[in-house]
Amino acid sequence: MDIKTLTSASNAPTDVWDPELDDTLVCIDVHQETHDVKSFTFASPQGKRFAFQAGQYFLFDFPLGADAEPRCYSISSSPQRPNAFTVTVKRVPDGRVSNWLHDNLKSGATVKAQGPLGHFIRPSGAGKKLLLSGGSGITPVMSIVRDLADTCDPTDVVFIHAARTPLDLIFRDELSMLTTKMKGLRLHFLPEHLTGERWWPGITGRITSEYIKMAVPDIAERIVMCCGPAPFMAAARKISADLGVPTSNYIEESFDAAVIDDAELPIGEAPVVAKTFQVQFLKQARTIEVASEQTVLGCAKKAGLRLPSSCANGVCGTCKSKLVSGSVEMKHNGGIRQREVDAGLFLPCCSKPLSDLVIDR
Amino acid sequence: MLQTFASSISSLLDSRADGHSLPAGLYNREDVFEADVDVFFRKHWICIGLECDVPEPGDANVIEIGNSSLIILRDDDNQIRVVHNVCRHRGSRILDAGSSVVSKLVCPYHQWTYELDGELAYAPHMGADFDKSCKSLRPVSFKSIGGLIYACLSDNPPADIEHLEEVMTERLAPYDIRNTKVAFQTDVVEHGNWKLTMENNRECYHCSANHPELCVSFVDLDFGFDPESLSPEDREQAEQHQALYADKTKSWEADGYPSAAVEQLVDCETNFRTQRLIISGAGESQTPDATAASSKLLGTMTRKDLGDTHLWGHNSWNHFMGDHAVVAIVIPLSADKTLVRTKWLVHKDAVEGVDYDLEKLTNVWVATTDQDAELVARSHAGALDPAYVPGPYSRFSETNLDKFATWYIDRMRAHGY
Repeated sequence: MDIKTLTSASNAPTDVWDPELDDTLVCIDVHQETHDVKSFTFASPQGKRFAFQAGQYFLFDFPLGADAEPRCYSISSSPQRPNAFTVTVKRVPDGRVSNWLHDNLKSGATVKAQGPLGHFIRPSGAGKKLLLSGGSGITPVMSIVRDLADTCDPTDVVFIHAARTPLDLIFRDELSMLTTKMKGLRLHFLPEHLTGERWWPGITGRITSEYIKMAVPDIAERIVMCCGPAPFMAAARKISADLGVPTSNYIEESFDAAVIDDAELPIGEAPVVAKTFQVQFLKQARTIEVASEQTVLGCAKKAGLRLPSSCANGVCGTCKSKLVSGSVEMKHNGGIRQREVDAGLFLPCCSKPLSDLVIDR
Repeated sequence: MLQTFASSISSLLDSRADGHSLPAGLYNREDVFEADVDVFFRKHWICIGLECDVPEPGDANVIEIGNSSLIILRDDDNQIRVVHNVCRHRGSRILDAGSSVVSKLVCPYHQWTYELDGELAYAPHMGADFDKSCKSLRPVSFKSIGGLIYACLSDNPPADIEHLEEVMTERLAPYDIRNTKVAFQTDVVEHGNWKLTMENNRECYHCSANHPELCVSFVDLDFGFDPESLSPEDREQAEQHQALYADKTKSWEADGYPSAAVEQLVDCETNFRTQRLIISGAGESQTPDATAASSKLLGTMTRKDLGDTHLWGHNSWNHFMGDHAVVAIVIPLSADKTLVRTKWLVHKDAVEGVDYDLEKLTNVWVATTDQDAELVARSHAGALDPAYVPGPYSRFSETNLDKFATWYIDRMRAHGY
């Protein structure tokens, strides 16, 4: 990459990354955060700025060979620093994409990506918040904290970050430093074990109702934003509901396994179930659950929703629909064009959800 | 040989006097209109569009001519295709008129799904033994001549399109019309018969009084004048202009740009004329001040002084200039209504507001087209009047109308009328 081009172009602040036009990023930095977590920072080859909101993600298509899989990674950096953005990725044992990223993605490499995407964003207004993150689920939440720090907005935020051991606490030093500066930020680290660290000043274990009651006695008055592995989120959801958080104040982010799957982080008594996603059909005002292994159309039919459809095999394109938010894994047979996909369309008959979806049907 | 009775149209054809406009019935009768569409828009080559109407794979453009609806599309191999817009199941229209983007051609009625080459890919509930192989969308004979798409709906298209193809392929090459884009398009419905629309375009007798904008760059006298009716001063100027033509044509041709007039107007099936015309004034383009409207020239053009390569067919007229082209296609809608679809083409990379000013680009022909619509409506209204009697064409400035009328009568007769 031509550094000169980058420098000169970035002097033009009006030039903003346009998701309709731009899809190429250049990696400009790789940073080891913990023993198995790295941050990758990306810029636009044309030096364009990024307009995103804290909590959003990018959908990447890394060049892993012929059958590259799309992956969503939350932005961990602050939207107030728009020259580049950072995603933070944990190496997952046997994880195809995360291992490839850790082993191969170097400064100077270009990758394809779409975004910013997603609605797990910092709510407007100065309402009290609880940020709850497990493992690498810290990334979108970290972006929110960094945004609050950069904007100096009045803040009343409790931030609980759970991880396996103290050595797995991502952004540990930076968060500790931020608490010395941000008056309304209260930070709780919750390692499950002390492996690798000789002593620890606080509590260890998993999130429980008792722990949350002590750490956040006014949880019922807070907007809760949660991101982490499915069992962690299931536990957090139940605890929050039990402690009086209305559903409308509970917001969660969830992704494909490779993103935040801390498989070894066993949490509470939450049963481990197949991952399901909420799929909302706007015009019919219905929301259904679709498991990660099911097609959107198949589940919609079973739920009594009616979408125009015919081949059920990605050939005819009759079910073509607008995907308002979320991401899917689509295996079509020519029934849709790339430029239609780029414009936000997909075929529910041959698409499995990778996140919660909102569909304009 | 099969004996046929002469149709009532035959007697109308018989009654046309040489050198005169057509009998009223040929302009206004419904049965003549039906016959015209059949003869001139189904059995002859017609210009239906441009390659740049479908710039990317999956782009489709539907054009309707009489009861026929044609899909112009670009397939995944970047090839142009033209197919009938009729599903092979029960005949439903597949695409709506106008432009769309398709991944397959899917009939909205029962979802019969065709590949972009027309092959039937998927037909639900037709049984395992259903033979899809003979149910492709029916292709239309077409030729892309320098990026202009000519189609013929007959199984037996006229062979003499080859002359047009040979002449225009060479003349259009430097303009690279395939790599243009439609910067602007207008659809004007003229209240007149399609032949009046074409006749109006074939003479410039009416230009000096009716087209002040066009006459800045277009020389009305290029299409004939009566020396006796000009003032001595005008006559001298006209004679100088004609002498200039000989010189200009010679010098353009020496530079490798074929320029001399080529006409195939009578005693032929495919009717066309082309010539490189001089642009007057600043000499560059058909704009309000005759200077180029786009700074990004077409194709491999490096000069703005190469005049206006004009091309007529029997349903289109075109002007190819260094910086842009104006392409008009004429579609008959009824005996007394005719669609004139005009497209302004610029280099595909030219950016509006940067390389060209849209107002400057379109001003002359927007005005001219509106003025022509008014003139055609007047002609048609007059031809409906019982007092109308065919009048004589000027032997100086309307010889091409006489040729058009003669060709029209000949072609009708050749098709049994």
